[in-house]
Amino acid sequence: MTQVQLRNKGFPAGLRLFAALLGRAALLGYAALTLYPLYWLFISALKTNEEFFQRPYSLPKQWMTDNLARAWDLGNMGRAMGNSAIVTLSATALTILLGILAAYVLSRFEFRGKKAVSALFVLGLLIPIHSTLVPLFILMKQVGMLDTYWALIFPYTAFELPIAIFLGVAFISAIPKEIEEAAIMDGCGWWGVFGKMMMPLCLPVVATISIIAVLRFWNEFSFALVFMNSQAMKTLPLSLTLFSDGFGTDYSLTMSAMAIAVLPTIVIYLILQEHIMKGMVAGSVKS
Amino acid sequence: MYASSKNRRFIAIALLPGLAVFVLFAVVPIFWSVYYGFFEWKGIGAARFIGLANYREILHDPIFWRALKNNLILVASAIIGQIPVALVLAILLKRNRWFHRLVRSAVFLPMVLSTVVVGLIWGYMYHPQFGLVNAALEMLGLDRWTRAWLSDPKVNMYAVSIPINWSNIGPYMVIFIAALSGISPEIDDAAAIDGATGFRKLFSVTLPMIWGTVVVCLVLCISGSLKAFDHVIVMTGGGPAQSTELLATYMYNNSFHIYRYGYGSAVSTMIILISAILIVLNRLITRRGGM
Amino acid sequence: MQVKWKAQLKALLLLMLTAVLVTACGGGNGGGSKNDTGSNSPGNTAKKEEEKVKLSIWHNFAGDDLRARTVRSFIEKFQAEHPEMELDAQAIPPDGYRQRLSTVAAANEMPDVFFTYAGSHSTEFYKAGLIQPITDIARAHPEWKEKFFDGAFTPYEFEPGEIYSAPIGMSATSFLYYNPELFEKYGLQVPKTWDELVHVINVFNENGVTPIALGNKAPWVAQSTILGSLADRVTGTEWFLKAVKQDGAQFTDPEFIEALNYFKQLVDLKAFQEGANSIDNTQAEQYFIQGNAAMMIGGAWAVTNLAASASEEQLAKIEITTIPSIPGGKGEPNTISGGPGAGFALSSRTEGKARELALELIYTLSGPEAQKAIAESNSLVMYDTEIDETKVNALYNKMFQLVKTVGVTPVYDAYLSSEAAEVINNGLQEIMLGGSVESVAQKLQAAQARAVAE
Repeated sequence: MTQVQLRNKGFPAGLRLFAALLGRAALLGYAALTLYPLYWLFISALKTNEEFFQRPYSLPKQWMTDNLARAWDLGNMGRAMGNSAIVTLSATALTILLGILAAYVLSRFEFRGKKAVSALFVLGLLIPIHSTLVPLFILMKQVGMLDTYWALIFPYTAFELPIAIFLGVAFISAIPKEIEEAAIMDGCGWWGVFGKMMMPLCLPVVATISIIAVLRFWNEFSFALVFMNSQAMKTLPLSLTLFSDGFGTDYSLTMSAMAIAVLPTIVIYLILQEHIMKGMVAGSVKS
Repeated sequence: MYASSKNRRFIAIALLPGLAVFVLFAVVPIFWSVYYGFFEWKGIGAARFIGLANYREILHDPIFWRALKNNLILVASAIIGQIPVALVLAILLKRNRWFHRLVRSAVFLPMVLSTVVVGLIWGYMYHPQFGLVNAALEMLGLDRWTRAWLSDPKVNMYAVSIPINWSNIGPYMVIFIAALSGISPEIDDAAAIDGATGFRKLFSVTLPMIWGTVVVCLVLCISGSLKAFDHVIVMTGGGPAQSTELLATYMYNNSFHIYRYGYGSAVSTMIILISAILIVLNRLITRRGGM
Repeated sequence: MQVKWKAQLKALLLLMLTAVLVTACGGGNGGGSKNDTGSNSPGNTAKKEEEKVKLSIWHNFAGDDLRARTVRSFIEKFQAEHPEMELDAQAIPPDGYRQRLSTVAAANEMPDVFFTYAGSHSTEFYKAGLIQPITDIARAHPEWKEKFFDGAFTPYEFEPGEIYSAPIGMSATSFLYYNPELFEKYGLQVPKTWDELVHVINVFNENGVTPIALGNKAPWVAQSTILGSLADRVTGTEWFLKAVKQDGAQFTDPEFIEALNYFKQLVDLKAFQEGANSIDNTQAEQYFIQGNAAMMIGGAWAVTNLAASASEEQLAKIEITTIPSIPGGKGEPNTISGGPGAGFALSSRTEGKARELALELIYTLSGPEAQKAIAESNSLVMYDTEIDETKVNALYNKMFQLVKTVGVTPVYDAYLSSEAAEVINNGLQEIMLGGSVESVAQKLQAAQARAVAE
């Protein structure tokens, strides 16, 4: 696109190429800068405490893969990862299901109280979650929900719904109504329209919401700290703080634990990213 | 838009579950917390009803206003540093070639790291003696510009806002890409035929088409900045001397560190009120589109 | 293409929901029964003898350090010795410990036994009626009570004659660690008076060596390690105790202003490294042990931290002493600030057999064996015990011997209300940034006065 513009304006080929390369170099530079901290995390994870403090930026002299094993054992990270996975996936699924449904209704239908409902969801965006810690704890205690996966799944979903609905409405509003109208005239019920047509069309926004939700839930700390009592139910972020005791921090173990915790999220991101792209290619051909 | 009894049933069944979960687990607790704001409560033991006393104290509390100012700095910095950058990156990196995918992944990566990791890493980068930032400045011969980035109250709020922006650009870029891909290629062609290219195209064609999404992102950005907590708590704890204190960290400290639970709840109610005001203002200014 | 997507998505969603239902039910049941431990069991279990007594204990010894492992091993031993009991032991990371404890306290759902800090932390629990005395243990084991250092029980004696906890650690916060090699290099002696200290600071600064390493990102550090001991030398302990009670002394008195001014002098002399307020204490300790700073003022925890990350030779080089005396001060010179460390408390709702077992558990964790083991894990205790010197490193040994010869003065944040402690912590950071001493003193006075008035 840019090449065409530049050519149209009469720039010589050499200069155009230079501009293109410069642009690419700049982007690559930006990419390197953003990737550097991750690189730093991994090399720090493989150092001894001593080396971490003495030579923070160089490659480890000795590759202490042992650190990873110790962090894994001490933090019981296998179990923690499993718990995190269950909670994250369930909450994400629930968020998408309830969120897209609600977004569809809010963007296509008129009904009494619609403005109130919209405003209510906007309110959800403004809530600092720490102020709900004590009330939620008391609520869950009375219902007997503490120490179960639901204790996290429901609040996570509740706080993510506003964003999901916001994005969903913005996306769905941009989809022309003719397709649905055609389907209705063909005798399709609303559920049919929703299931057969809307959901597949919404794949890009579903993938988007999924990525954001998965990352939020995977790294969430405060609710997991307070609502989950037993060791067996702990999620991943809790094992990360295990190695600092308020008076000192064992950085090599902490970095190792963080490095381990980060890997699944990178994998999930790469997978979901593919789907977004496929969805978008499909979407742009739809008209 | 349609409304008939069959539709009503669909509306109810489709909307109710989401609404129920949301109200029960988010709205009810927050109203409960607002209620606590009218009490003097240590979190344990008895609570004493004191009406609006907490709110009056807030109005005279210099730290509250400092925190509010800090939050507004974050909001401004986020609106400038996150949305436009994310938009430009989305436009540049829309295509699906390997190069674009690589850069996109890199841009998004900070979001993948937990805020604790990001805070720790940037804490090190800002280290006054060994940090990368000061080291890089020295290498470039800009010794005069080195300073204790997280200690010096004149710059630390700005220093803190950089990692926050850095982490959050990723999701907005992804959102914008999804929105941009909704623009059919015919519009691109039409624009080219009409001679609209580059910046003109951006402002006259692209931006209006995704304006709804831009507004949504602005709202998310503002509300997120007003709730900011994690990065600051890890990097500075709100200090030194509460110079980087935010509304959310101030609320947290009051509730869980010095046992002024009623006051902390009042602060959190103020967060909600201020956010609501800013969002309404935002809606008025960007009146086109939206829910 | 659309059909394929829809089918896949449906299948995926169905799978996830099923997984959720199955595991949540399984997890729920398992979690549910454990959840009952703290709340309603003790009274009932007395009736059914076959049913196990349920007990819950919370602590923050969750890490990999020697002390944490020691404490956990004692808990495990207790569990093995009492098969009639079902113990729910939670090791919570220290970062989140206070938050979690505060939350369950707000909901009145305390565990039976829990770890609590001396000072405002345990005082709040007492005032809210959430803990009961453990004096029965002292009655059953009088020789054990005798062996504690003087003042060990003072912060836990909320009613005369009744103790609510026994410390399993000693908080010693103001040691002056120094690197003799650096002193020798510049022909200096370790300072014993304030003037000597000023001289030493200047010489080090001229030669590009940081005089005192300080990591005050968590602002309690400067207050706990430096101010407490420094101020005591100027004001004397009696004045401080009166000011805390707001009974004949105030924080705006000239003695305290003078003390704050001594601290300010350190700042003005550039005794600390730049940006000390954004470096955490672990990093500062590392900075010191690597020879970048000549001195460091820190607590006993520094030895524990350094033992985990520095080499034996590096540790052996370091010497330890008390901070210098102040000319004309009302306090004693050869003292460190410190006091009883944290201990285990008993929830007021625990009764019957559970209470008996809980008391025994507390004794196991704070009894002679445990105190010795903890002392041997590079962690000071407030108990007169002998240790096997081969089990600990050279620096810890020096510290352990030093402690027996010095007096102990109060640590500010163990006596001030939590709000006043925050105020002075932030105030010291303000002074380090150039703030006014008088305004900090006024804020502190106002905060403590408010707390006492309640």
